[in-house]
Amino acid sequence: MKALLPRDKLLPFLTEMSHKLEVVAPVLANEEEVFCTWTGQPLAFDENPLNPPTEFLIPHRETLFRYVQESGRYTFEEEPQKSRLVLGIRPCDLRAVAVLDRIFGAYPRDSHYLHRRRSTLIAAMNCTRPKESCLCAHLGSGPEAKDEYDLLITEIGSGYLVEAGSPAGILMLSDHSEFFLNATEAQLMEKDQLMKQAEEVVKSHSDVSLQKMRDTIKMADWESLGRECLSCGGCTFICPVCHCFNIVDLGVPDGERVRCKDTCILSGFSRMTSGTNPRRTQGERMHNWYLDKFEYIPQKTGLPGCVGCGRCGRVCLAEIDRWKLEAVR
Amino acid sequence: MNEYIPMQAEIVDIDVESPNTYLISLKLLDDMDFGYTPGQFVMVSVMGLGECPISITSTPTRHMLQLCIRRAGRITNGIMDSRIGDVLGIRGPYGNGFPLNEMKKDILIAGGGSGFATLRSLINYIVDRRIEFGKVAVAYGARTRQDLYFMQEYKGWQQAGIDVGITVDIGDESWKGNIGLVTSLMDKFEIYGGSAAICGPPVMINAVAAKLMKEKSFDHSDIYVSMERHMKCGVGKCEHCMIGPYHACQEGPVFTYDKVKTVL
Repeated sequence: MKALLPRDKLLPFLTEMSHKLEVVAPVLANEEEVFCTWTGQPLAFDENPLNPPTEFLIPHRETLFRYVQESGRYTFEEEPQKSRLVLGIRPCDLRAVAVLDRIFGAYPRDSHYLHRRRSTLIAAMNCTRPKESCLCAHLGSGPEAKDEYDLLITEIGSGYLVEAGSPAGILMLSDHSEFFLNATEAQLMEKDQLMKQAEEVVKSHSDVSLQKMRDTIKMADWESLGRECLSCGGCTFICPVCHCFNIVDLGVPDGERVRCKDTCILSGFSRMTSGTNPRRTQGERMHNWYLDKFEYIPQKTGLPGCVGCGRCGRVCLAEIDRWKLEAVR
Repeated sequence: MNEYIPMQAEIVDIDVESPNTYLISLKLLDDMDFGYTPGQFVMVSVMGLGECPISITSTPTRHMLQLCIRRAGRITNGIMDSRIGDVLGIRGPYGNGFPLNEMKKDILIAGGGSGFATLRSLINYIVDRRIEFGKVAVAYGARTRQDLYFMQEYKGWQQAGIDVGITVDIGDESWKGNIGLVTSLMDKFEIYGGSAAICGPPVMINAVAAKLMKEKSFDHSDIYVSMERHMKCGVGKCEHCMIGPYHACQEGPVFTYDKVKTVL
């Protein structure tokens, strides 16, 4: 099902949706693009925000359950998940959602993740104006969406071309038909043309590939890279695929068991109570991170653990070239 | 159902194994029960302090869930400060355990320090199903006599036809037994080309495996090592326990020696 949302109907449509569920969208806040709950802020479709939209599937901090003690025994309470529409997920981040679905959906399933995933509608947005740092075309994740979505939006001259990719997406279009027009053949062709151009732009940026990356990982001097790395963890916290977490209890005798983000780049991550650390040096930890993304996650999910969004390069304080694996300075 | 919500288990007995190690017997509440294999582990919670992985010390052939806890960190301190009647959270069992169907009938078991806790599950399993196994030998080493676990059980193992060798690193006047490395116990065992189950410090695992392959004709794929790793989820998601492409909580904690020798 395909339809056209005229430019002046986007905000009325989102306002209508926000009455029914929480709408998350890329907005401008303090002149920075950021994914957050949309309450009428100006939308920012030009640049993919630094915080990945997968934060709304694996938040930085979430309550797994609450424990309440009564005469030495516990009762456990779960919070219901709220329904959400995440708008403006780029194809790279959409691929990250697909990877996470496979990881958290693999036996034994993480039902906490899956409940939230099932209550999340995804309105992805094709990339018509990719940036210099984008590598999606080389990794097979974009610039046109290739993974599951409920709605897929492409910005064209006359407005937003919207395609439904799931029963929920079809319902969203048919339930709000007052906002939409029928899409014409010319508009569909315009979209195809824009996507072809975008792919050529990304491919012209660089010549990275999965195989080249695997070879680079084998050749890299991890110990000297480890000395360059400042161990800030930034690359892992903004990576849409990174999902390492810690679990902690807050509160005695009643309280909540909280899941919060963690990162394999930090030294305490694999250290055991005895003090033994299987990955002692920063170089070993970086090496493990790359192996996970380019070897282990592909083995497990069939998809690369890097989606080519370029965020890690944008935040790296040590200015390590993430693809040549050498310090730039 | 939320995988992270634990079952509740009441502490029904506490045995002191060493000054800093207790053997805790648990009874699952709310009609909960689970089967398990020697070598598997559970995530144990002290609500308010957190959760940590603890290997199961009891055998599934006996109807009592037992965990051997050594005072090591925040949560194990919390467990050991608990009393009979207190409630702990239990999730699991997790991990693969020892592949009893794939292992050869002749088994050499080697443990060092608190790594012996998980091997007791296997030893008592063998005792209870002795007819299914061939020659079985146990080599166990601890720092001092006071650090030896399960001392009251050695005689029963010997009566079941298991060769038991015990050694300590540091002897004293009260110790009449062997002093030295676990490997020094292994010469007298008449087991060749069997399977091995090892748990202990990496140095000890490497030494035992080397001796087994060199002098006892063991193949590296018949040497099963139970690995220790930091863990948070137990279900292969949090990535803390990664050993190369494997999660110790899912594909492990028991690995064949050839898979893990590079990380030991």
